[in-house]
Amino acid sequence: MSLLELQNVTQRFGGLVAVDDVSATIAQGGVTAVIGPNGAGKTTLFNAISGFRTPSAGRVVFGGVDITGMAPERIAAIGLVRTFQLVQLFGELTAMENVKVGCHLHTRGDLLAAILRSPATRRSERQVEDDARKLLDFVGLTDVADVAASSLPYGQQRLLEIARALAAQPKLLLLDEPAAGLNSGETARLSATIREIAARGTTVLLIEHDMKLVMSTADRVIVLDFGRKIAEGTPDEVRDNPAVIAAYLGMPEGAA
Amino acid sequence: MTKSPTITFPDMTRRGLGALPWIAAAGVLAYAFFVGGYLTTVMSFALIYVVFVTGLNVFMGYAGQVSFGHNAFAALSGYTSAYLTTSHGFAPLPAFGAGLALALSCALIVGYPTLRLKGHYLAMATLAIGLIVYEVAVEWTSVTQGYMGISGIPPIGIAGYEITSERGQLAFLTVIVALATLVSWRIRESRFGRALSAVAGSEDAARALGISASRYKLSAFLASAAFAALAGSLFVHVVGFVSPEVYGLHMVVLAFTMLYVGGIGTIAGPFVGAVIISLLPEMFRQFKDYQDLAYGAALILLLIYAPRGLSTISSLFRRAAAKKAVVS
Amino acid sequence: MDLSYLPQIALSGIGIGCIYGLIGIGFCVIYNASGIVNFAQGAFVMLGGMITHTMLHRYGVPMIASAAIAIAAVSLAGIVIERVVVRPLWNRNATMFVMILATLAAQIVIERSTLIVAGDQPRTLPAFTDLPPMMLGGLAVSYQFLWIVAASLATVAALALFFKTTLVGKAMRACAINREAAALQGIPVSRMLALSFALSAALGAIAGILITPTQYTAFNVGVPFAINGFIAAIVGGFGRPLGAFVGGIMLGLAQAIAIVVFGAGFKNVAALSVLLLFLFVRPSGIFGSAK
Repeated sequence: MSLLELQNVTQRFGGLVAVDDVSATIAQGGVTAVIGPNGAGKTTLFNAISGFRTPSAGRVVFGGVDITGMAPERIAAIGLVRTFQLVQLFGELTAMENVKVGCHLHTRGDLLAAILRSPATRRSERQVEDDARKLLDFVGLTDVADVAASSLPYGQQRLLEIARALAAQPKLLLLDEPAAGLNSGETARLSATIREIAARGTTVLLIEHDMKLVMSTADRVIVLDFGRKIAEGTPDEVRDNPAVIAAYLGMPEGAA
Repeated sequence: MTKSPTITFPDMTRRGLGALPWIAAAGVLAYAFFVGGYLTTVMSFALIYVVFVTGLNVFMGYAGQVSFGHNAFAALSGYTSAYLTTSHGFAPLPAFGAGLALALSCALIVGYPTLRLKGHYLAMATLAIGLIVYEVAVEWTSVTQGYMGISGIPPIGIAGYEITSERGQLAFLTVIVALATLVSWRIRESRFGRALSAVAGSEDAARALGISASRYKLSAFLASAAFAALAGSLFVHVVGFVSPEVYGLHMVVLAFTMLYVGGIGTIAGPFVGAVIISLLPEMFRQFKDYQDLAYGAALILLLIYAPRGLSTISSLFRRAAAKKAVVS
Repeated sequence: MDLSYLPQIALSGIGIGCIYGLIGIGFCVIYNASGIVNFAQGAFVMLGGMITHTMLHRYGVPMIASAAIAIAAVSLAGIVIERVVVRPLWNRNATMFVMILATLAAQIVIERSTLIVAGDQPRTLPAFTDLPPMMLGGLAVSYQFLWIVAASLATVAALALFFKTTLVGKAMRACAINREAAALQGIPVSRMLALSFALSAALGAIAGILITPTQYTAFNVGVPFAINGFIAAIVGGFGRPLGAFVGGIMLGLAQAIAIVVFGAGFKNVAALSVLLLFLFVRPSGIFGSAK
């Protein structure tokens, strides 16, 4: 069953066509990677899917619901949560608090609940604390739970952002270049984490430059070039695709 | 919980230091209560400002927004209280209810379009809201008596019992401030407060996690307007008089100075800042003319040299500890 | 309501509008060079009038020399604010809000210092040309009005020439378009910041000197002028100096009409409502897209 469907999605900025008539179907389960040279329109496509930009044309359907042009918070509420290419943590909050913010969607209570602080609210707070701790544990950040997010090294910030997104219990997790800025050890660890996320039932769609990560992590690969989809298939199929090789000509040896 | 001793030890120091400003400010309050006289009056003013600044802190410190116009909500509620009690024989509590309702309705109407603005547009729009209310207070003489002001406003009272003594008022205001601070603390330590911090940290990231930035900004705006309205009404009953100058631009600058002295975004900040800033000019009574000058200069110096305020000096320890923990 | 007043009222609206326009340009000059909105702009207007008055009446300096001294002194004050208040915050990458708050505090410091030094008595300057108004078909045109319009237009023209032809002016424009790129081109961006404050302060002083003979000046006239100048800049599309000037004239006219319709008391409410309307509905100003 398809979880996410892109139907002729196009995004123009003035005369520039950043995403050009892209259609694709992401099935429930597994890891799908979107790859392509710089400026191929990957992040623009992510913005169109997650509601941060309304596509100029085409439709985005998620879980049978047309989410084209819907506000990001409403899209998140029906189970599509993203991370950002440039990590966007709440820098002044601790790692723990960041993950707790991620629990927002599946908890209740606003100003009045905060002031009254009923037993039910307290119970829910304890639950949030537990959930957040488990997630920090899952990405290996338990030791830095009480450290301000902005003081964490970059690799840990990336992992924290993923933990925070998972706290929202998404059906589909969009990761925008999760390995950017990580060393090879951290990348290998990230790859294992992403596989584990998929194994626990969350579908993952990721943008990545690191081909080693893509080849070892993704079940399917979609290739964009100049805003168009030029290939789609398993990592092996895509690697041998002449159009993909042509698009990546000029890339360093071994990158594709 | 934490394994690293580099966190736990300074953490204790931090707790101790964090309580210091509380203890000092509470000490002054207790002293004022027992000594009585002029200091009691000064502290009453300080406590009213604590309520106002606590509201600003929710909107600016927690939610990371900007408002130069919260004096408008204090003025709306204060004038409603003054007008209804003097001209229509209302008791203070129902008059305050009406004032709060008016202030919140106005906050709701102007809040929605205003909070869509960012940066200096937001700053200017809120400043304009404060100035409009001020101008109306000056010009709408049939209700506000213009610059003359409204006098003879009855003191705070509940169910026929009026609090007329200065000590009684101070005690009453202490209870209000304790409640306001409790509310501020509970907001901070809640799902609602976390959502506000998220909006302050990154609106995009907050929205990607399902937090409606516009809704939470509006909620914080309304909550802080309610604090402002409460402070505005308390003022007229404590002083017994109101004029447009009470809620002028200087109210905003004074409140910002308090917020920055105490520490923006902290729970103790409004209390500590308001007490310090209210006491300072009294210690230098002979320099009365220099008060506003001193506030302005102090604010500039604080912004440059201690942007996070006095009560956050302890958090420097936390930051140092956090860095050490990461390095080790 | 007597509409026969309208042309006369409109005329005075254009006069005050030129003043708002000059102040509005002052906002734009600093904003373009640095992205900072200087809320101490009104202090320059107040100081311009006050210093001229002091020179003229206490030291007996001739009017033109008094004005020149005032403009120079206020420019210096602009540089002092930049050095003492803005620069330390700028170096620390302070947030926009902190910058606004600091400049607003600077406004209050200047205002209160003036109160202490000069007292709270309003002062006025003599009209530059002491002749009865000209009558043009039932319309009384005062010489001060002509001075205001002529001097404002001359200032705007000189400013335009400065930005178009001189190297420094071009460098400032480059900063306005892209600060990083300008810095890479070897333009001393930080010196441009100081210069923009001096220039902006001079504009404020000129506005203050021109308007004082028709009204009065006192330690506390700054904030209302600053707000009207800001509204002019918003109406003109923030960061466009010419737009700000036109915006100022439109605001002056709108206020003049509001006085006829609602009475003098509500002219500030009218101006502030115009501001809110623009911010809510058309924040980019009347001339299209925002910068």
